[in-house]
Amino acid sequence: MFEFLSLPFMQRALVGGELVAVIAGIVSPILLFRKMSFMSVGISHGAFAGIALGILLGISPMWTAIVFAMALGLFIGFVSKTGKLSEDATIGTFFAFSMALGIFLIDISKGYHPDIMGYLFGDLLAISLSDVYFSMIILFITLTWYFFRGRAVVYSTFDEDFSRIVGIPVDIDYYIFMAVASLVTVVAVRFVGVILASSIMIAPAAASKMLSKQFSNVILLSILFGMAAVLGGIAFSFYTNIPSGPSVVFFVTAIFMVALGIKWSKNFARS
Amino acid sequence: MSKGFLFINSVTVRYDHLVAIYKVSIKLALGKFHVIMGPNGGGKTTLIKAIAGLIPYEGQIKIDGLNMKKYLKKYSIGYLAQRGAQFQSFPLTVLQVVEMGRYRFRESKAVRKEHAMQYLDEVKMSSLASHPIGDLSGGQQQRVLIARALATESKLIIMDEPLTGMDPRSQSRFYEMIEHIKEKHSLTIIMSSHDIGFTTAYAENVFCINKRLVPHDEAAKLLKEPEIKKLYGPNIHLVEHHHLSSEEEEDV
Repeated sequence: MFEFLSLPFMQRALVGGELVAVIAGIVSPILLFRKMSFMSVGISHGAFAGIALGILLGISPMWTAIVFAMALGLFIGFVSKTGKLSEDATIGTFFAFSMALGIFLIDISKGYHPDIMGYLFGDLLAISLSDVYFSMIILFITLTWYFFRGRAVVYSTFDEDFSRIVGIPVDIDYYIFMAVASLVTVVAVRFVGVILASSIMIAPAAASKMLSKQFSNVILLSILFGMAAVLGGIAFSFYTNIPSGPSVVFFVTAIFMVALGIKWSKNFARS
Repeated sequence: MSKGFLFINSVTVRYDHLVAIYKVSIKLALGKFHVIMGPNGGGKTTLIKAIAGLIPYEGQIKIDGLNMKKYLKKYSIGYLAQRGAQFQSFPLTVLQVVEMGRYRFRESKAVRKEHAMQYLDEVKMSSLASHPIGDLSGGQQQRVLIARALATESKLIIMDEPLTGMDPRSQSRFYEMIEHIKEKHSLTIIMSSHDIGFTTAYAENVFCINKRLVPHDEAAKLLKEPEIKKLYGPNIHLVEHHHLSSEEEEDV
């Protein structure tokens, strides 16, 4: 049953994919409780413009994607804070622009670009060792951020005014969080693509939110659901020969639906 | 703290071009229970947020001679905002909510928990420490927020309409608890409220705000009771717009 794990490219896909599930599982519950789920959609599309810029300039697209996504994340945060707009309104404005910019940049760059479909829809099976190392670095950054600022960010997500009063640097934490969330989204883009990144970023957290009333458990379940979806999605992709990105998204959506069913049945039993 | 004062000197708050409160000046004795009353949109919440340092304002707010902004950098204040719907679905336990009040203190997890439990015990909520905050009733949530305010070890607690949605029995219990913790911890309490009956029975000082501080006689009209003192007893001291003397000006 697990013979697919003996193949090196499958091993890389699995390790890289599971790393993404862990990273997204840590960050996405906070996005969800801040009502910023749409952020991952905006940032992933912003990353596409960065990828296109990398292709145009002939440099590694992941580096330009990081720069572009972080700049967009911080800009969305800045406009939302100073313009007193919701993040969703700012993202809605800029994600289409980023996509349009990406298409324009690819159009003016010369030559054929077979990688574009991989960046748009993800290709777990084309994951290189350097992609896995890249995920490890982002995991380290995410864990460091969560260790030092996680409690404060959860507090300010729960009650921003009180957090300010007890001395939490709410605005600084907000921008740091936007930068970390942008980095995490870029990793998700590398593995499941621009179009599907928001699924792995949000669905596991949304499912875990329905099943737990403890923040630490929400994060733990979010990680486990993401990891299960990656394992199931890669195996399903291998045996059915369908693209790996959509396969992972099918699994993560199935987990969400099961969690929704459990939540509904609990509510029904209570009423 | 009971001998000092909280000075609010000519405080104006504007939201864009809209004036929310205009040149409010008042001197509040520390160690007392003060209540801000006034109509909806009269600026109660704005004044409370200004005192708590949550919104920019023109003018000065000083506590015991220390500029409030500097005070807030050094110390926390206990703050209860108007109740929000976010509590319903947020996955924090009662204990974790109270632990928020210990953020400034450099202490181990075990000590933080011990302190939080102590304050929960004080508001008779320790038995629900492991319950999600969203599962509690409105009155219970307010008790937890009082415990969180106490956990800051602040001598000043500011509450913005904490009684909204509470039945009279819960309100009565709430006031009794406030009276108890005020005496025990020598607290200064500033609270905004709509309720005339309970407020005037428990508060040591009531003042009215309607963009500006409302003078004594107009305040009585606002409360729809010209002889309000006679009705509610001597505990009420409606405060007139306070003009600082030159000596007080220097203090400020």
